[in-house]
Amino acid sequence: MRELTTDHISQQFNNELETLRQHFLTMGGVVENQVADAIQALLESDGELAEEVKDKDTTVNELDGIIDEECTRILAKRQPAATDLRMILSISKAVTELERIGDEAKKIANLSMKLINEGESPRGYVEINRIGQMVTRMVRDSLDAYARLDVDAAIRVAKADRSVDLEYKTAIRSLITYMMEDPRSIGRVFNVIWTLRSLERIGDHSRHVCQHLVYLINGVDVRHIPAEQLENTSKQQSEDE
Amino acid sequence: MSDTKTHSIDISTMQRSHNTLRIEDEKVCLSVKDLHLYYGEKEALKGIDMIIPEKKVTAFIGPSGCGKSTLLRCFNRMNDLVDSCRITGDINLHNQNIYAKGTDVAELRRRIGMVFQKPNPFPKSIYENVAYGLRIQGINKKRVIDETVEWALRSAALWDEVKDRLHESALGMSGGQQQRLVIARTVAVKPEVLLLDEPASALDPISTLKIEELIHELKNEFTIAIVTHNMQQAARVSDYTAFMYMGDMVEFGDTNTLFTNPTKQQTEDYITGRYG
Repeated sequence: MRELTTDHISQQFNNELETLRQHFLTMGGVVENQVADAIQALLESDGELAEEVKDKDTTVNELDGIIDEECTRILAKRQPAATDLRMILSISKAVTELERIGDEAKKIANLSMKLINEGESPRGYVEINRIGQMVTRMVRDSLDAYARLDVDAAIRVAKADRSVDLEYKTAIRSLITYMMEDPRSIGRVFNVIWTLRSLERIGDHSRHVCQHLVYLINGVDVRHIPAEQLENTSKQQSEDE
Repeated sequence: MSDTKTHSIDISTMQRSHNTLRIEDEKVCLSVKDLHLYYGEKEALKGIDMIIPEKKVTAFIGPSGCGKSTLLRCFNRMNDLVDSCRITGDINLHNQNIYAKGTDVAELRRRIGMVFQKPNPFPKSIYENVAYGLRIQGINKKRVIDETVEWALRSAALWDEVKDRLHESALGMSGGQQQRLVIARTVAVKPEVLLLDEPASALDPISTLKIEELIHELKNEFTIAIVTHNMQQAARVSDYTAFMYMGDMVEFGDTNTLFTNPTKQQTEDYITGRYG
């Protein structure tokens, strides 16, 4: 595995890059827990845990600011080039995605409070559980891919987002049918729909994190390339190499 | 999943303010008070007030003729050698006025060493170049000199490259090596302050990075003031940066702040390449 943060003549520069990488992964860890806890809080009607998830948002925001500032400072002071430059740009963008994942987790925590206070929805928990597990895994895998600089793993995560989208559509369809059958439940079912929507967004953000990783490693912008074509870009890249 | 509940991290160690240095918190090595310098009629420094913090790197940037090299030369009284030069104001090295009557200038220049733009090794062996300052001081014991030469060459990150050819001529070294040799020669007499006047401007990019890394290492033991035309270099190596223009100190502060959010428009224009 290639190393990005060593081998510069300037030891100081190595340290700065390594610190940046560590902070990014730390933030990833916090966000990953936020997502898992938010889903658990909702499924188990655990108000306390939901509060914890909301509290962690402050930490995530703080880390977002710290990492942003580190990126700014490195750009201003080191004029990074090539891989170094891509690493800064990639992390700077991926951090925004992490921050948004945190925001979605917070939304889920808020919705679970609502469901606790206003009464549980008659339907939708099975779907939340299933999609929740899928996206929690996506968040974790995207961060693992980042930690190991593993493009293949990143592409797998990007592809997994397809299944999440599919599951999401199916779930929404069945919940709409349910609401038509029992309009009194619409208010409560909507809390579930919004939760599903947040989960689906978390999947999207994880995919974006992976796209930023592909840019870092291969130097190709794959944000607007369909998931099934991602492998071609990477293969082409490795053949070139 | 419950084990994740307790997951908490300590972000206090990575607070944002953590990265901003405050000049008020520093120990003072050199302090400059209301320093004016005239070359004949021309006022080259117009009332400089600043401190050079101890064991930190302070960089001076600014367009040609702004007075940064002149100021640096004031610190070890190199301007004494210029006939038409007149100075008012004070410079104190650890509270001792270096322009006071009776100051031993040779001793001052041992305490405040200087390295110039072009490497200027003596036409002697590598070993003798470094030993020269010690011999001048009357040190003759071979063991002491041997030890100091090795220490100085190691400090200058040169030892591994030259240890097998210590007695070959210094003039056979590359430019980057010569410059590091000159730095070794300067640190051999254990100065308190190192003045570097464009130390890397005659070197290739890799040698430049080596010198910069060396500067970073040396600040553990020495106070360093560096003049550079290359402001990116100032950004990379220094803790504090002073921006000078037409003999005035326009802005002086923490390098991170100066290069990301300077307070003066003039500084902003210079570091963004809008004039200068």
